[in-house]
Amino acid sequence: MDRRAQRLRKIRDWLWEIPPEGAMKVPGRVYADGPPAPDDPALEQVANVACLPGIVKWSLAMPDFHWGYGFPIGGVAAVDVEHGAISPGGVGYDINCGVRVVTTRVEAARVRTRRHEVTAELYRTIPTGVGSSHAIPRLSRDEMDAVLAKGARWAVGRGYFASGGDLAHCEEGGSLPGADPGTVSERARERGSDQLGTLGSGNHFLEVDEVAEIYDPAVAEAFGLHEGQLAMQIHSGSRGLGYQVCDEALAELTPAMGRYGVDYAALPDPQLACAPIGSPAGQRYLGAMQAAANFAWANRQVMTGLAVRALCRSLEISEGELSAALLYDVCHNVAKVEEHLVDGERRRLLVHRKGATRAFGPGDPRVPPAYRDVGQPVLIPGDMGRYSYVLAGTAAAMEETFGSSCHGAGRLLSRHQAMRLARGRSIHRELLDRGIEVISRGKKTLAEEMSEAYKDVARVVGVVAAAGISRLVARLEPIGVIKG
Amino acid sequence: MPRAQAAPKLEGVRLHLPQPYEEISHTADVGIAAVGATPEEALARLVLALGALLAGGGAVEPAGERGISVSGAADLPQTAVALLREVLFGFATRREVPCSCEVRSLAPGRAEAAIGFGRYDPALHAEGVDVKAVTYHGARFEPGERGYRAQVILDI
Repeated sequence: MDRRAQRLRKIRDWLWEIPPEGAMKVPGRVYADGPPAPDDPALEQVANVACLPGIVKWSLAMPDFHWGYGFPIGGVAAVDVEHGAISPGGVGYDINCGVRVVTTRVEAARVRTRRHEVTAELYRTIPTGVGSSHAIPRLSRDEMDAVLAKGARWAVGRGYFASGGDLAHCEEGGSLPGADPGTVSERARERGSDQLGTLGSGNHFLEVDEVAEIYDPAVAEAFGLHEGQLAMQIHSGSRGLGYQVCDEALAELTPAMGRYGVDYAALPDPQLACAPIGSPAGQRYLGAMQAAANFAWANRQVMTGLAVRALCRSLEISEGELSAALLYDVCHNVAKVEEHLVDGERRRLLVHRKGATRAFGPGDPRVPPAYRDVGQPVLIPGDMGRYSYVLAGTAAAMEETFGSSCHGAGRLLSRHQAMRLARGRSIHRELLDRGIEVISRGKKTLAEEMSEAYKDVARVVGVVAAAGISRLVARLEPIGVIKG
Repeated sequence: MPRAQAAPKLEGVRLHLPQPYEEISHTADVGIAAVGATPEEALARLVLALGALLAGGGAVEPAGERGISVSGAADLPQTAVALLREVLFGFATRREVPCSCEVRSLAPGRAEAAIGFGRYDPALHAEGVDVKAVTYHGARFEPGERGYRAQVILDI
């Protein structure tokens, strides 16, 4: 058991602190509905992240945090742009893994009676599973450069969109301007060139939902949500291209940590390998990571266009009748330069969110005009058998968490434990009995991704709402799900 | 001195699927560990453990062979990660599933292996794991009572 984690103390309801000790430069802070188990290895990772050079205020863990590699999943760490470190492990392999919600003007009841046809058409249209590819023709080198530089804008220009407002409703407009396609290796390009518009596997999904309950009518109205409405969620990332960018950065930095000084050499986990942001290696990774983030936005944007057309085909309606619109698109795995108020001083920080969601509050100029009065949409997917939530960012999140919130339910069981629990059961049948059509490439995925494998996301969003770092707006319930 | 250090070299010994390995439970990901009388044997089994996960229990028909060498890692665990990274890249881009492995040389920072592979078949290997990356987190390579034990955590 990590000794630092044993010293947990309660700050207030919903918030626990690991006081700094040893190489920790700041305290660790954990949002939870009770004292975290001191032997949870993720707590040790929260303490390890607090050792990052240049870290500001706290190493944070959202209530869905769990054991990752280097960083805990559900971790947030902000470092000073001038003196801090950039950590590929603080972003993760699936760079800009994220989720988006598309709204429609169709009532969900209309889909329930045709849920198999709708789900099957989506499954036929969006490639899923191991190494899924060829949703669209393989990208040429020039096209790949354009995708890496423009992100979602590239896909919208090729006709893949829900409506004309898609770009305004993506975090950062669906493109990070600092992306440097020249820093993305040939190997990364090779892994990604035929994967644009594909879902992948694991916890990635495309889901057709019903807006089941509205908790905050005023904010829901601003978000264009009403009860009984059909909506769609897409959860995916930068596919093999992003994995390779992270992999190469870690391979470069891991054996060379000593060259940046004692703070770097003393980091307790090689997966926390990092470099000063301004160093050549730091700048190379930053340029490549931002390009991979743009690839991920283009990926979700292409899938959006394909899925909207598939919905229209399967429901035999026009795109006008469907009236799809992108509610919002958020990143879960990214590091971005953002300005935040720290102890009364405006500072430029590089905020690493590894399995966490940006949750900027009302009035922030970085929130799209349509949502600026109420805070940005915070989209929190649950598991495929229960529900997901739409929340809104708050002023408290800006003060306490660098404008961050949770990102999902968080795994409760390992994949092995889930497989054991599923033995002798038909997860597919159980979901059908609950009115949910699921199509996946293999039955193993269904077992690994079963509801019991995840924490109840209602409990997770309950913590962020009670702690004040997000505000509950609506609950979505699945009708049809496709998985890899 | 650990017994493993006195074990004979296994030069010219090629191991084939299936080989014994252990899956290590990890909340979100999967760890694999393999034991061998020599470091080379442990690493060859670790490569084939990755092959077994990628194949998902399906048969892998040999289709070719590839020599892989890696260098520049700081120690043995990182060298093991480096070799498995190369194997994974072959799977991700050429759909090559390792089915046999001979580690011809291994030292901290350097490894050379001949790897036989089969082609990924979406039907035969439908239950295969989509491995994103081989991580440095929890990577180990150490002598033990039964020889050498090598371990990595895979991001999936």
